[in-house]
Amino acid sequence: MRRTYLWFFQLVTGALIAVLLGIHIVVQHFDAILVFFGVDAAQSTSWAAMTARASQGIWVFIYIALLAVGLYHGINGLRNIILEVTRSTRAERAVTWAMIVIGIIFFAGGTYVPVALLTG
Amino acid sequence: MSGDSAKQVTFKVQRYDPEKDSAPHFQEFTVPTSRGMTVLDGLLYIKENLESSLTFRSSCRMSICGSCAMFINNYPRLACHTQIEELQADRLTIQPLPNLPIIKDLVPDLNPMFSNHKAIKPYLIRHDTAEMESPGAEYAQLPEELNDYLQFSYCVKCGICVAACPTSASDTLFLGPQALAQCYHYCADSRDEGEAERFPLVDTDHGVWHCHFAGACSEACPKGLDPALAIQLLKRRLTSQALRLRKKQQPSPLVLPPTESKPEIAYPEFSAGEGT
Repeated sequence: MRRTYLWFFQLVTGALIAVLLGIHIVVQHFDAILVFFGVDAAQSTSWAAMTARASQGIWVFIYIALLAVGLYHGINGLRNIILEVTRSTRAERAVTWAMIVIGIIFFAGGTYVPVALLTG
Repeated sequence: MSGDSAKQVTFKVQRYDPEKDSAPHFQEFTVPTSRGMTVLDGLLYIKENLESSLTFRSSCRMSICGSCAMFINNYPRLACHTQIEELQADRLTIQPLPNLPIIKDLVPDLNPMFSNHKAIKPYLIRHDTAEMESPGAEYAQLPEELNDYLQFSYCVKCGICVAACPTSASDTLFLGPQALAQCYHYCADSRDEGEAERFPLVDTDHGVWHCHFAGACSEACPKGLDPALAIQLLKRRLTSQALRLRKKQQPSPLVLPPTESKPEIAYPEFSAGEGT
């Protein structure tokens, strides 16, 4: 049952990445399109605009969520690939724990800056 | 066939005798071919006329038994179902099925596949054990319920799907498309109640979740089955059960056999001169 949930979350995080990464791409890189639709997002990649977004809870939430789902999707996918060539339960357990530790380290590192900016 | 001029085709056959050879090697044979001749016919020609020690499996010669599955021109096929002409080549490379150990020459060891097949309990599992022990009636099944799994019951266990599967190539512990498709086959059977016993066997890191849906098994299957579809449907069953999205279905009820016997149809009588 645990593996069923792991796979189900792989699907869910895949869908969430499409939405959250879509928001990120549109705001950061397709600002000209936003202007075309009447949304003033000019200079969206400037330092001032980015720090302004970082001070808003909704943006911090979006970026931390994108980091979390991206890490889960990528690390679980990598784990599945590595498990294809492991031959023992012990090795599989080691791979799983290594992936969990790597995920936690990346998540902690990735959330430090937006949380620090938000809390001042 | 007698009117066709014989075309010479070179059979490059992998040979391996574990008692004599340290590694597999190739041996070439020139075979006169004619229209309609299959790769199996060519191998039989070699065995009868050129090299009697060449070892391969074959039985029905009509793609029913699945015995003659082999790697022909780098693709898993049934030798009896592959005409030499359709390959459009003057040289054929014949090897045993990959992803399985070799016993000798073109004979793969199918035991790993059969072990996986056996592991998923490929038979009807019912809670009414008394009826299963001594059947006195029949399990009712609607035609649409039969269609849910019918195509998967045509599996001849030739091993071609396992040979084509890229996951089976990299993961020797992977259950393989044959066993997983058969797991779905029996779980989808409305007469069966064995999901609770089979799901823990396939819900593993080397089970159903390791299928990357390459679809190579479905493309290669000589019987036209779609094992990749069965595996995806099995994933759906597992997920919907884990998320409690499925309604508990009652297994097929017992129906008594017909009380009246069918009238016997008169056997036609033939006379010696009839039909000529």
